Amino acid sequence: MRSLKDAQLGAFTFFASALPHDVCGSNGLPLTPNSIKILGRFQILKTITHPRLCQYVDISRGKHERLIVVAEHYENSLSIFQKPENTPSAEKVLQIAYEVLEGLEFMNKHGLVHRALSPNNVLMDCKGNVKLAKFGLYHMTDHGADVDFPIGYPSYLAPEVIAQGSFHPSDPSRDEAPLPSGPKSDVWSLGILLFELCAGRRLLQNIDISERLKFILTLGCMDDIVTVLAEEHGCLDTIKELPDSVLELLRKCLTFLPSKRATPAELLRDPVFNGISCHYTPFQKPVSLFSSSLRCAHLVLPDDISDLCKDDDEDYLSERAIDEVYYLWCLAGGDLEKELTNQEIIQSKPPISTLPKYKTTYAQTQKTERLAVFISILSLSASRLHLLFSFVLEDGETFGQGRDRSFLLDDTTVTLSLCQLRNRLKDVAREAYYPLLEDEQSSLPQSNSSNELSAAVTLPLIIRERDTEYQLIRIILFDRLLKAYPYKKTLVWKEARVDIPPLVRGLAWAGLLGIEGDIQAKYEGIDKDTPIPTDRQIEVDIPRCHQYDELLSSPQGHIKFRRVLKAWVVSHPDLVYWQGLDSLCAPFLYLNFNNEALAYACMSAFIPKYLYNFFLKDNSHVIQEYLTVFSQMIAFHDPELSNHLNEIGFIPDLYAIPWFLTMFTHVFPLHKIFHLWDTLLLGNSSFPFCIGVAILQQLRDRLLANGFNECILLFSDLPEIDIERCVRESISLFCWTPKSATYRQHAQPPKVAGDNGFVKTSTYYSSDYQDMPKTDLSREPLSLGDLKAEVSPRISAEDLIDLCELSLSGSSKRNKTGKPKIVAVDIRTAEDFNRGHISGSINIPFNTTFGPENEVVQCPAAGGLQSYRGRVIVVISHNMKSAAMVRKQSSTYMCAAPQYLKYFYMKKI
Amino acid sequence: MQSADCELNDKQEGYRKYRYYIHPDAAVTMKKNKAKASSNTEKEFVFEFRAGKHNCVLKVPLQFPVQENISDLHGRLMLLHKIPCYLESELKNSLSSFVEKETILDYDREAELALQRLTTGDVDVNKLTSAWTRSYVETTLEHARPEEPSWDEDFANVYHELIHSPASDTLLNLEHNYFVSISELISERDMEIKKLQERQAAEMDKVMHELGNTLSDQDVNAVASQHFDAQQVLENRWASELKQVTGIQKHEYQEWVVKLHQDLQKSNNSSKINEEIKVQPSQLSEAADSGARMFEEQPQLEESFTIHLGAQLKTMHNLRLVRADVLDFCKHRRHGSSGAKLRRLQTALSLYSFSLCGLVLLVDNRVNSYSGIKRDFATVAKECTDFHFPCLEEQLEEVQQVVLYARAQRSSKHKDQPETQKNGGDDKSKNVERNPSNILPGEFYITRHSNLSEVHAVFHLCVDDNVRSGNITARDPAIMGLRNILKVCCTHDITTVTIPLLLVHDMSEEMTIPWCLKRAELVFKCVKGFMMEMASWDGGVSRTVQFLVPKTISEEMFYQLSNMLPQIFRVSSTLTLTSKH
Repeated sequence: MRSLKDAQLGAFTFFASALPHDVCGSNGLPLTPNSIKILGRFQILKTITHPRLCQYVDISRGKHERLIVVAEHYENSLSIFQKPENTPSAEKVLQIAYEVLEGLEFMNKHGLVHRALSPNNVLMDCKGNVKLAKFGLYHMTDHGADVDFPIGYPSYLAPEVIAQGSFHPSDPSRDEAPLPSGPKSDVWSLGILLFELCAGRRLLQNIDISERLKFILTLGCMDDIVTVLAEEHGCLDTIKELPDSVLELLRKCLTFLPSKRATPAELLRDPVFNGISCHYTPFQKPVSLFSSSLRCAHLVLPDDISDLCKDDDEDYLSERAIDEVYYLWCLAGGDLEKELTNQEIIQSKPPISTLPKYKTTYAQTQKTERLAVFISILSLSASRLHLLFSFVLEDGETFGQGRDRSFLLDDTTVTLSLCQLRNRLKDVAREAYYPLLEDEQSSLPQSNSSNELSAAVTLPLIIRERDTEYQLIRIILFDRLLKAYPYKKTLVWKEARVDIPPLVRGLAWAGLLGIEGDIQAKYEGIDKDTPIPTDRQIEVDIPRCHQYDELLSSPQGHIKFRRVLKAWVVSHPDLVYWQGLDSLCAPFLYLNFNNEALAYACMSAFIPKYLYNFFLKDNSHVIQEYLTVFSQMIAFHDPELSNHLNEIGFIPDLYAIPWFLTMFTHVFPLHKIFHLWDTLLLGNSSFPFCIGVAILQQLRDRLLANGFNECILLFSDLPEIDIERCVRESISLFCWTPKSATYRQHAQPPKVAGDNGFVKTSTYYSSDYQDMPKTDLSREPLSLGDLKAEVSPRISAEDLIDLCELSLSGSSKRNKTGKPKIVAVDIRTAEDFNRGHISGSINIPFNTTFGPENEVVQCPAAGGLQSYRGRVIVVISHNMKSAAMVRKQSSTYMCAAPQYLKYFYMKKI
Repeated sequence: MQSADCELNDKQEGYRKYRYYIHPDAAVTMKKNKAKASSNTEKEFVFEFRAGKHNCVLKVPLQFPVQENISDLHGRLMLLHKIPCYLESELKNSLSSFVEKETILDYDREAELALQRLTTGDVDVNKLTSAWTRSYVETTLEHARPEEPSWDEDFANVYHELIHSPASDTLLNLEHNYFVSISELISERDMEIKKLQERQAAEMDKVMHELGNTLSDQDVNAVASQHFDAQQVLENRWASELKQVTGIQKHEYQEWVVKLHQDLQKSNNSSKINEEIKVQPSQLSEAADSGARMFEEQPQLEESFTIHLGAQLKTMHNLRLVRADVLDFCKHRRHGSSGAKLRRLQTALSLYSFSLCGLVLLVDNRVNSYSGIKRDFATVAKECTDFHFPCLEEQLEEVQQVVLYARAQRSSKHKDQPETQKNGGDDKSKNVERNPSNILPGEFYITRHSNLSEVHAVFHLCVDDNVRSGNITARDPAIMGLRNILKVCCTHDITTVTIPLLLVHDMSEEMTIPWCLKRAELVFKCVKGFMMEMASWDGGVSRTVQFLVPKTISEEMFYQLSNMLPQIFRVSSTLTLTSKH
């Protein structure tokens, strides 16, 4: 997005039209409110960036279908020329015309039509350049269908627009919406606008609207519209004196028949602009982060490098992108509704005075199709049908409610004052705006406030995300790192471990997932339109996926959902669509709503990393193994809970499949998923186990207290989970877990290293066990049956060596604090033990502790283990069976593994 | 996608012609269009290119207006027809310029058709322009008629400001003084009526004694009617007196409030006014004491719950189960009784705010206040002057007119569409024809009050005798009425609403324990469903819903219901069963 520069932020508000009572859609679900439709359609406008257009920044929904749009804004507009003494010169008129046309042409290329051109909507920046405002209103309201007010201003409407009629919702005689207007109707409006500039007065101001419109329609019979208009307004002399080029332009714009009128693109190349078009260079779209072309290709350094750093007094905030500034404005206490209320744009009446007097159960529109839907649902007998019809379908109609004036459109744009934000940020050092990335020592900028910042890092995430200064610095840092992606990939990882600023989360995740290359071309190359058998299922699932969210419940959201999901299904022929894929797609789509390709790329990178082969047509072996490892993890981290759950038969298969298959996106709302995944993406593929255990631990008391039925009920509607605690605990669980404990046979096979030029950035925690070099001390695959038979996980000899700090290389891979304290129990016979053992290990020979029937024989050694409660016990053996036996026989201490040897079991008491 | 069919024509000097079809359905997305049928046309995109020695032609029928993304279409064509990659950008350019050109042509054609319709007279210019005018006048502030200043609104603003200032105490005390004088009048009236009745009873006794001796039946009747008339006269006199006093009070009060506001605004030095404000409360202390004795608070049974609703995103709501009389929420109590003044302050503070309190009152199908609960409610509403809204009678009159208007509207609409649902409405429309001013079960009217103790808006929900029977379903009009009430709560910021859980105000013989449990379960479940639905109406606002049960149910029953509530609403915190160990 463009930087703020001398622009300001402006907000204006309007109401979407209310839906007719409660009508159901054809699929039986409630209709989407119009404000949500508008919100969804608005999103694409954020990507329309052009120097002649006011950048759209944000939209938000208020109560009762109110929408507030935030966009770039300037105080000056063409209306400053409306005073007679300010009449612009002919060159200025041409310049304005050219710039407006530039904007219009760019819009048309993106399929947009302005429809609301007026002097108030053609703004001027400090240099006097044109900026078109409210250019997206016609698009976002679906050509005006979603709002009650007509789009456009009566004097500036093109004749064909008038002829096509206005759509008025309270008028039942017209069911059809008027046809959308084409790009040429803007050219007419521009003509009127330019005429006013030349004439130095406004047209058709003093007559009422219907006369005005009639007058415009009668212009069709005139030969020379410009002359007629001039005569009508008594400014024929002024018009006659205009240079030929301007007159020519006016005539071309004010051509009555659309087919004879030029489009903005044609007009832009018209000879009348020969004199000035040379001053303008065509707009180059900046290259996006993921593309095939060289991002630095057009980078030009000025001849004199000192030009770059000439003035000290620069306003650094205005160098930041508009959306960043707006984001920070909100953090610094900005409140859109309050600003608009202060300017009396929002005037709300107390609800007590607008209460309706009477509400019926009747409504006038009765559609038989709705009846059909309900009958099929309820399958009622025919005699009850009548009742049903009049009370359910005929929804409440309200009476005695006056039309509220506060719902009328006031399209004044209010400037949002940045004072509060600037005041808040006045202590931020200048260096903070341009942090040095090459300095490996400190990632955070060194400044006066750096101490405060490092203190801020220790605060809870929720507070950090609301801290203006902190977010500013983090956003700048990430912005710069991501601009240098993939070169600065390592640093992105490092900083992401601190936290990820919400504003850049989409790109940051893409960086963490290692997205590279021309994703757009790849995405476009996938056939997303041809019907496939999965369509039906996708169609059913989308309207049920995270629909509390405004973006994802909008029709645009549904379209994008469908496309991304289909693209994934089509491009992964070996995998299939399982329910849950929609939830998995949701966070990526939400974060990259305007960049489906990136959402698709992220999802495609995420699935093999964390859900390898989960979406196979027959995925039972993968899931079974996964769940078994999960239950071993529960046993490892919380034996008491594990014993209880096993006892009541509440196995992970009953509740954990949706957790893992959707990586928790099915159970948590989006804002929690973001925090969870911020950490998940940093861990390896075994991190989800730890999240699962952390969730169980939060519900521990209730699980322990309850039997099977209550547990099922509890999980069918998962209670609120404190997500920050969950993240914190899963990190510590993760650090505690020896890597080999989560070994899975069906995990993603090791990647072939070195096929790309970059060094693998993984650290100890982020790399997968599978990716580590395989030695004879590593774990070996186990059949599912064997795996299921074991309650506690095995670990590899490598991990044991590491845990006992026996490693010869000396440099431990992990710091000490992250390691569990272990008690090694050697269950081999005394002779074997005496031949050689790990120092500090305790010898409890299997054959002396267990009788022939595998019952525990009480012995002092076994009792001695009680004193190690709370420590991890590693059982060492060379006999798998006996090791497993130790585990089974006693619920408090257990496990086995051979020394020098192969297998280790672990369990915490 | 149907397979492309190729048509080879080798005879023409090795000129090869490929013909490709894309099935039109494939290009149409699921989007439902609003009757833009006339503009849908199919056009053929032709792309000629050379591949090696061959001249090839690609023909694609496209549906206009083009809904899908050009890049996608391009990608699909490349993939499907295995177009050589060196043609990629060429195909893209010609495809997008084709679509652009054709779209402009379509626009032009439609636009000129519309203009033509005007010149040929198919569309009336006057009608067209007046429709435009109307939509501008009705929806935009710029063209709308200027608003007349309204006394009510100004008063609302002034009051809202004052009640949130130190003057609030004075306001309340003043209101209370007025209340006390009204209640004195009322007790005087009651006394006088009682005396009259006693006198008449004595007289009647005497007459009855003489019946058959000196007096005939006719004489008795005459005396009775004379008594009745006397009573009427007395009641009317009192009613008019009360009305007059109320009117005077309201007038005085409003004037005083406006004056106070002006004074406060005028003087920056508010100390004097503060003193002026502070003087009054002392006068009350005596009255307050006596009040405390007069209104003995009956112990209410109540239990509160906090619930979270929603599948992924959860909204917190508060539920309360209360055993009380429905009018307890309305009755104005004298200050001094426990918390009465605070409650009164709370209600006054939130009167013009965005969190109101509502109450559902179950009434019969006549809009008046002559009998039953309606009469009781009217009595309570009259105990204290409403300084903000018209009195109950006036509001009910308005409602009656609105009801008549609504009936007229609908019957005219029914005439317009005679074929619509003759079968369904038959028996009910007869009912309506009999008395058009009556309302139907499930319908409700709303009255506004500033003088009730804990309620701002009362929903008078019409129910019939059906609610007394044991077999009502979720489709019952009363339940649908509740849904509509909750919907009004959403649109008008009523954040606390009190609902009679059993859909009755009084218990009777047939309401057995199973009946109560069944009814409570139904209402709990339906309200839960509606509350979840509400989240989609208003985006998840936290609310308080109070379930009211009649005072006459047993304590045991109450606890049975309070056990049921957490099971239905899944209150997690109360699930503390002991484990088997």
